[in-house]
Amino acid sequence: MSPELRPSLPLTAEAPEPRAGIAAVPVWLIILLSLFLYWGMVYFDQHSGWFSPEVYAPYRSTAELALYQPPTGGIDLSRGKAVYENICGLCHGNDGAGKPGQAPAFANSEWALGTPNRMIRIPIVGLAGPVQVAGQQWNLAMPAMGAALPDDDLAAVLTYIRQSWGNKASAVTPEQVKAVRAEVGNRTQPWTAEQLNAIQ
Amino acid sequence: MNYGPLVFLAAFFALASSWCGFVLTPQLQIGRLQQTNTVGSAAATYPVARPGLARQGLEVYRANGCAYCHSQQVGQTGTLLDIALTDAGTNETTTIAALLKLADASANHPGVLTALPPWGGSRSNASTTALLGELPRAFLRSSTREAANAAVKTLNSTSAKAQLWIVPVGPDLARGWGRRRTVAEDFLFDSPVMPGSQRVGPDLTNVGMRQPDANWHLLHLYAPQAQVKGSTMPPYRFLFEKRRIRFQPSPEALMLPPELAPPAGYEIVPKPAAKALAAYLVNLRADAPLYTAPLTVPAAPAASTPTNAATATASAK
Amino acid sequence: MSVISSPSQPSAAGPADTAPALVAPAAIDLSCRLPLVVLFLSAAVWLLVASAFGLVASIKFHAPGFLADSAWLTYGRVRPAGVNSMLYGFCLQAGLGVALWMLARLGRTTLAAPWLVIVGALCWNLGVAAGVLGILRGGSTGFENLEMPGYAVSLVFLACLMMVFWGVLTFHQRRERQLYVSQWFLFAALFWFPWIYSTANLLLQGFHVRGVAQAVIAWWYSDNLLVVWLGLVGLATVLYFVPKLTSRDLHSRYLALLAFWMLILFGSWSGIPANAPVPAWMPALSVVATVLGVIPVIAVALNVHWTLEGKCSKLLGHPSLRFIGFGLVAFIVAGLASAATALPAVNQITQFTWFIPARGLLNSYGFFAMVIFGAIYYIVPQLIGQEFPFPKLVRAHFWTAAAGVLLFVVPLAIRGIAQGLRLQHADVAFADIAKGTLPFLRASTTGDLLMALGHLMFLANLCGLVFQFYRARAVSAWAEATAELKTAEARS
Repeated sequence: MSPELRPSLPLTAEAPEPRAGIAAVPVWLIILLSLFLYWGMVYFDQHSGWFSPEVYAPYRSTAELALYQPPTGGIDLSRGKAVYENICGLCHGNDGAGKPGQAPAFANSEWALGTPNRMIRIPIVGLAGPVQVAGQQWNLAMPAMGAALPDDDLAAVLTYIRQSWGNKASAVTPEQVKAVRAEVGNRTQPWTAEQLNAIQ
Repeated sequence: MNYGPLVFLAAFFALASSWCGFVLTPQLQIGRLQQTNTVGSAAATYPVARPGLARQGLEVYRANGCAYCHSQQVGQTGTLLDIALTDAGTNETTTIAALLKLADASANHPGVLTALPPWGGSRSNASTTALLGELPRAFLRSSTREAANAAVKTLNSTSAKAQLWIVPVGPDLARGWGRRRTVAEDFLFDSPVMPGSQRVGPDLTNVGMRQPDANWHLLHLYAPQAQVKGSTMPPYRFLFEKRRIRFQPSPEALMLPPELAPPAGYEIVPKPAAKALAAYLVNLRADAPLYTAPLTVPAAPAASTPTNAATATASAK
Repeated sequence: MSVISSPSQPSAAGPADTAPALVAPAAIDLSCRLPLVVLFLSAAVWLLVASAFGLVASIKFHAPGFLADSAWLTYGRVRPAGVNSMLYGFCLQAGLGVALWMLARLGRTTLAAPWLVIVGALCWNLGVAAGVLGILRGGSTGFENLEMPGYAVSLVFLACLMMVFWGVLTFHQRRERQLYVSQWFLFAALFWFPWIYSTANLLLQGFHVRGVAQAVIAWWYSDNLLVVWLGLVGLATVLYFVPKLTSRDLHSRYLALLAFWMLILFGSWSGIPANAPVPAWMPALSVVATVLGVIPVIAVALNVHWTLEGKCSKLLGHPSLRFIGFGLVAFIVAGLASAATALPAVNQITQFTWFIPARGLLNSYGFFAMVIFGAIYYIVPQLIGQEFPFPKLVRAHFWTAAAGVLLFVVPLAIRGIAQGLRLQHADVAFADIAKGTLPFLRASTTGDLLMALGHLMFLANLCGLVFQFYRARAVSAWAEATAELKTAEARS
């Protein structure tokens, strides 16, 4: 006698498996769902910054975020622009896009956006030899265009470069320029890319 | 009709959509973040990798589940604009006149423009002149961009130089738990990232700013109730060892109050795990101004007397 | 006699039947018996373990020095150990057991490869044990609800694949082709867990995504486990037992379909907290999804209400239905609470307070565990073929569990809101706010105690029934064997 198929239990006779009826979904629930979906779309539109990786609450859009950026410390960008167009724009272009065969672009250039310690050194002494800028290889020689500029002007033009054409980096102060000039000293030989990369 | 595959497809689609939204897209957007630059007047790379001992401390933090009581994320509910003077200008009388005009405006529009302490819109020439000697200092606070720009224009039309300072506000920030909200860059070098979901204890995002002394943290870990009365934080005595003093007390021995001190001839010395954890806690700061979380870190005003210095740093917050 | 080798016995006898004959419930239960007994007993033991950890953690709030000198028992290790024991040891195991039984019963087919399910269950228990011990040793990963270290995860995932695969096979081999609503929920749940578990663990422990993307993935996983998976299995159980035990048809399959779709769509998107340190679009999507999560809650509530034709007192009839009714009410309250606190303005108050664990427990224990208790109290007597040895303990369990949940959730929720409101004012010292929560924590520790008591009763009943049954089988098998020996001796 097999004890497994013990017949039914002292429990009540088991109910059959359930079945589902076919009543319709109430219309008001569908309307409620639509209202919530509408509210959701409006909320998303207002609060999401539309998938921008830069917009964090409480800011609601990239435009609003740009309005709340702190001032650059009082350096006059118009002065920097004037110096730029006089001296640098001839080779690098007034739009910062560079000229092929002449000078690389400043827009999105890691040399312009990186630490000022490297950027300030370039116009003071010049840069020669192979260098990679924004994924492109250049191998030219830049003369020391900024050697004759006073600290204020050099700081202004470098700040202008770091904050124009979509670049978003910090300002360069005249104090920083002075400090770098003191470090560079009497050097006249242009930098190479390796030497610059070694500087923090 | 075989509905089995249909149900599978429905569930697959739903899970795939949320996978794309919250696993794939965040990895593409913020999973490949690099170091960024700070904004504002001082240029710096942010974040910098934690020093080695602090990284070991992160492991101790993880292993002992500190994140179940402490959060490491600070929120922000709004941003205000401070109107600050960086230069009093050559003619202080006109500057003070402009300031008084703004004080009237702030009295008329209390929600939009407020005069900040210690100036507070006072009409006293003497106190205002004294404050003009301690610049840079914020005189007014505005909640809208238009009012702030108008105020700056008014002040700049005199010989003074005025600036807008960005001030994040929120209950967490008001409590001193940070200067700005936490963003993705703050967690760039941490693994695992433990933002926490409970505040049984205070938030730790900027604890290195509030308690920069490692010894405070060691004492707190050994006997939390001695430092914070009524604290429910458990003592982490297993991170310390009690050993016999040999020749002379160790420089690392904890300075404990008499009721907690070990018997004579013994000292309490932190184990490497405790030292690492303290180094990690001291290293916790997230107050650098970033493009995604802008703020102005104002320079402390030049202090003419010590009491003025205290109020100056208090108002510079 | 082996349970496993008995073939399925078709009850329909017609020779002209072209459709595969449906299997009798008794035969289905026979195939399910040993696997489910293993699953449910282990789940009950883990529940007790989780209660013990939870009690230790609770007591530490009243006496911080309690067991503080041992690194293994510090709060930061005991708490995740308790949560993981509860989730992986009890909720997932018992949930899978109930799911497999329902799939077999609703498909009118026997469980596919029961012995593999048993191996899976044993492997699962090994994995969870290794994981909990790993957490206590200090090997926690640091991610909430995912603390088990890698070696345990591999074991648990392997075990899960074993059980899930045979569950899917059972579903595929169903002889009743018309699908009942619970089957959609269960089928989705069967492959939901392996996907989220493998993704989360691979990306967080294996390939290490960088930065706060880790937190996003951890939140995504937590939400999909606690809201979607527990919701799918729990609602499948509710929508199965309520019509069955009240002998009525479920009011509307279309309402259930709506609830299913809305749960898996909106539930899976609602994980990111509103004030998280991530770009604003992620919390925004989660807020919208959480608020929209009200719709499946309403749909299920309406369905059950109309099934009972408004006579909710019918839920008091059967002891299992009491648990399930309580669970349903908890589901509705937890769902509405989630939606209400999703908006950033309200979230600002409840975030980081005791409200969050209170709502979490209402969902995972007040809803899911209670529904599973109800299901197990029905299923196990069917499998074994006998009533529980202590029927009064079933009622006592219900009342202690219900009282425990209420005592735990309600004071904590109230205190959490008050805590949050005080945290908005920076001039209130943090230490004062923390001190103010202590009386409420005392109430919740009492709730913990009551729930632990309920778990003891549950285990006692289960163990009693199972041992009684197998002892009787062993005795009768021994009697048969010795009787044969005696007749053989007498003949010779």
